[in-house]
Amino acid sequence: MSENTIHNNDYAVIGKSVPRIDGREKVTGAAKYTGDLKFPNMLYGKILTSPHAHARILSIDTSEAEKLAGVKAVITHKDVPSLKYGISPARWDENIFCIDKVRFVGDKVAAVACIDEETCYKALKLIKVEYEVLPAVLDPLTAMDEGQPLVHEEYERNINTEIHQEFGDMENAFKNAHHIRKDRFVGQRTYQSPIEPHSAISMWQDGKLTIYSSTQSPHYFQYYIAREFGMKMGDVRILKTYVGGGFGGKLEPTGLEFAGAVLAKNTGRPVKMFYDRAEMFAHNRGRHAQYMEITSAVDKDGKILGCHTNFIMDGGAYTSLGIASAYYAGALLPLTYEFDNYKFDMFRVYTNLPACGAQRGHGAPQPKYAFECHLDEIARDLNIDPLEIRIRNARRPNTVTPNDFGINSCEIKSCLERAGAMSGWAEKKGKLPKGRGIGVATGSFVSGAGYPIYRTNLPHASAMIKVHEDGTAATLYTGAVDIGQGSDTVLSQMAAEAMGFVYEQMKIVAADTETTPHDFGAYASRQTLMSGAAVKQAGEEVKRQLLDMAASMLQRPVYDLDVKAGEIFSISDSSVSLSFSDAAREFFVRRGPLVGKGSYTPPKLGGKFKGAAVGTSPAYSFCAQVSEVQIDEETGVIDVLDVWDVHDCGMVINPGLLHGQVHGALFMGLGESIWEQVLFDDKGKIVNANLAEYRLPTALDMPKVHSGLIDSYEPAGPWGVKEVGEGSTNPTMGCFANAIYDAMGVRINSLPLTYEKVWRALKEKREKEQAQK
Amino acid sequence: MYTPDFDYYAPQTVQEVCSLLTQFGSKAKILSGGTDLMVKLKHGTIDYEVLISLKELNELKGITYQEGKGVVVGARTTHNDLVNSDILNEKYLSISEAAHHMAGNQIRNIGTIGGNIVNAVPSADLPPIFIALGAIVTILGPEGERTVPLEDFFTGPGKTVLAQNEIVTYITIPDQPTTGSNYIKFGLRRSGALAVVGVASSVTMEGNIIKDARIALGAVAPVPMRAKNAEAALIGKEYTDELLEQAGVAASQECSPISDIRGSAEYRRDMVRVFTKRSLKASITKGHSGEHLETEHGK
Ligand SMILES: Cc1cc2nc3c(=O)[nH]c(=O)nc-3n(C[C@H](O)[C@H](O)[C@H](O)COP(=O)(O)OP(=O)(O)OC[C@H]3O[C@@H](n4cnc5c(N)ncnc54)[C@H](O)[C@@H]3O)c2cc1C
Repeated sequence: MSENTIHNNDYAVIGKSVPRIDGREKVTGAAKYTGDLKFPNMLYGKILTSPHAHARILSIDTSEAEKLAGVKAVITHKDVPSLKYGISPARWDENIFCIDKVRFVGDKVAAVACIDEETCYKALKLIKVEYEVLPAVLDPLTAMDEGQPLVHEEYERNINTEIHQEFGDMENAFKNAHHIRKDRFVGQRTYQSPIEPHSAISMWQDGKLTIYSSTQSPHYFQYYIAREFGMKMGDVRILKTYVGGGFGGKLEPTGLEFAGAVLAKNTGRPVKMFYDRAEMFAHNRGRHAQYMEITSAVDKDGKILGCHTNFIMDGGAYTSLGIASAYYAGALLPLTYEFDNYKFDMFRVYTNLPACGAQRGHGAPQPKYAFECHLDEIARDLNIDPLEIRIRNARRPNTVTPNDFGINSCEIKSCLERAGAMSGWAEKKGKLPKGRGIGVATGSFVSGAGYPIYRTNLPHASAMIKVHEDGTAATLYTGAVDIGQGSDTVLSQMAAEAMGFVYEQMKIVAADTETTPHDFGAYASRQTLMSGAAVKQAGEEVKRQLLDMAASMLQRPVYDLDVKAGEIFSISDSSVSLSFSDAAREFFVRRGPLVGKGSYTPPKLGGKFKGAAVGTSPAYSFCAQVSEVQIDEETGVIDVLDVWDVHDCGMVINPGLLHGQVHGALFMGLGESIWEQVLFDDKGKIVNANLAEYRLPTALDMPKVHSGLIDSYEPAGPWGVKEVGEGSTNPTMGCFANAIYDAMGVRINSLPLTYEKVWRALKEKREKEQAQK
Repeated sequence: MYTPDFDYYAPQTVQEVCSLLTQFGSKAKILSGGTDLMVKLKHGTIDYEVLISLKELNELKGITYQEGKGVVVGARTTHNDLVNSDILNEKYLSISEAAHHMAGNQIRNIGTIGGNIVNAVPSADLPPIFIALGAIVTILGPEGERTVPLEDFFTGPGKTVLAQNEIVTYITIPDQPTTGSNYIKFGLRRSGALAVVGVASSVTMEGNIIKDARIALGAVAPVPMRAKNAEAALIGKEYTDELLEQAGVAASQECSPISDIRGSAEYRRDMVRVFTKRSLKASITKGHSGEHLETEHGK
């Protein structure tokens, strides 16, 4: 069930739920993913990984594996560059293959290329690695203690990064408070679990390396692969095929590209590398486990005066995108509610577990869960309705957060009011039958990061449109990456709108570092705004040239002409008309290719303090969510009945795709709230690296979703757009936790909110009540 | 992961299955739907050189009613056959419902009752309801046929009374005067979750008096188990909610669950109490019926 709001009727192409440009191909199964591709002479490759969480490599003997029939190459750290890498230059701490020691179960040790998959598995078994097992660091809370083994010798006390930020006057805020409250929460380790496993096919031709990859960012792959092998970026071509989901887990090089590139070079044949489901879990880069303490000072009306967040993150064995995750965890917290005084402390620690990185919502969803629970507790202490306390604190447009993020459009108050009205909050709150509860929470997210992951002055996005020579079609060339979210569709709509053309005749070539212009890719919810801005500019350039041609064809001044939906018309004389195609064809005959280009660089954003760049964005989305749950008192079973999701995401280009994002985000949020958790045994090995025991929700588990929109316009975005992809993941965990509290009077202060935790909390509550009698 | 090489036989008669098993000994294994066997082969946790498929044995597929004997279910009958059987829908809807809440549709289309039983996983969904209904297993070996009550079939996790060269041919539910039966699978999501606790019951009522009761528990002991203390607490008594609670408590005390990633022993034990009570109530009041995490949303 979805509620559409029409923002503006004046557009011919945007604002409409046109069918996906790739819908037919995907639904019929014709769409090719990297794993579907085959090349003549192609070999298959596999990586050998560590069975130990922490061990010194004493020796590696590949001789038996090399003797096996069908094995074409075996490589170890001796065969690859030893240059350290990582997606974030803040800490380059990974090697293609481990050199001296392995740091988690799944760390990469060697690789093989063979004539088929079966031979790969047999060859891997024949590689003899002698290990000296070392004591492992598995508990992030004690990882920093003196005397703990070190995951990386160069990082004392296993501290990967620490953050200490303070804004405003905390002392004063706390001194003048009517009420101060401290709560502690734990967020679990989750994994993105895209349906399509990671894969890469590498091949060489005349010193040029081409890699087909299931990636969210061809650009970062190209950059890091060129850097690792000392190549010119121009000699590395990365292409993405269709991608079956990423959610942050396919942003960085996976090791499949590095190993595959070397294997392909050594054998002179294309090499396809892939992870199976268990290997995906081991490679990980999912959500960090976070230990979160929040202390807030409020006045008697529940207005937040100051807030101190004190967090520890389990980073796993490598940095991945974790420095950004750590900053995001605290930096994004002041977005939804207005307060001036804020202190943020964070330690991200290394452990001998798989590395964590960016997962949909990045560092933000768990702190949001913690804060939304904390705010409900404050509301209860002060006897204020949970919806009301949020409305009182809701951020207003054109404000600045304590950590110097400028907010333009912001309709969070309307989102809350609408979610309240849609859900019947006033009629339900406090009046539902036993076992039934209603909860509320909010969310917000960046519409693209203000700065790229590594330091560069490249524009963030660029685009090129070529109108076909006969004028009947146009192709958009963009580096933007459709990983299922629908950017190919939305950007084609935007191109058509800007050119005055029709969506149905748009073609797109995307995410190929050789044929398409640069774009940083699909992360930080950036493409609708940033790639969209570049596309708009390119489309407008086409339009300008086209109208100039039309002016000379029609013998009219150019300012009297406009073009829309493929028809050129005169503003002053309705009898004049010329088709887009005819003018475009004539353009080609007289002047050559009709091409438009555009690029986008965000303005300089943010403050001056250390880490000020992380969390900056040209625009922020906002949302409010209300959910209603039913709890089985005897079993703790949580039944989410209805969810009302209201978004302020600026102008909506494609309402159908937008609501799809909201449903998808809710699906992920539901899983993270109730079921999903990566679990380890006492040796650091994942015990549920499969889809049977890592429980994603099924279709039957989905509640009814009511997705609503608030009219809003964002001045920093093309046509007023903002993001929806990640912000919509933010409120869910806190929203459910609050609804559970409302139903049963128990606070579950760790994720996931499992049936057993609810059952235990209810049992403890009963026992306590009995003891008091 | 890859499927290792093996020799494949698809014999035309049940006797041939036994002789092939005898011929190849421990190198050979029966292949039914393959939903357990093939997964383990691919993972390399088991290794067989010979697989003997039951594919050609149509006499082992299907559900019939035989006068004087009861409902006879062939070992090759799939879960979806159980779901869609008119005989079961009429006589023991509880079995159809139990099968319906297993796995996903693809697995239900190919997975068989024989495989589910012989695999002897403690959390398997079919054994509890069949035990509660007093099912008898028919086994064929080189020396001929024998029968074993299903509740005596299991000897440990993954272990049964079956000899290496024997095959399960039929599972029979004898005619009975039971008023109702029911299986509740308690899994951690609505579909595609293995049972954390499974509770089946059958009850025979005489007016308000519980004349007979059988309770079978899954996933809370090394084998699917009868909750005999709980049954004893019921038999001959007048049905009340308090009585069912007492039976639930007794069942929770006599089971021996372990803690694993799906749930702690403590939680499982209490869920046995809750679902024993609920299953009994359904058996008494709803006839032969089924239930699975029935909540407002699920309906
Ligand atoms: C995704 C998935 C979900 C699942 N969900 C559930 C679930 O919800 N509940 C549940 O209980 N199970 C579940 N299972 C397990 C499995 O599907 C069932 O146990 C199924 O009934 C096994 O039957 P099969 O015919 O596939 O057995 P097979 O794999 O063919 O055989 C299993 C074992 O039984 C032996 N065997 C089979 N038939 C005979 C016979 N007639 N005589 C002697 N030996 C025999 C085989 O040699 C083998 O050792 C699931 C499995 C998968 C892969």
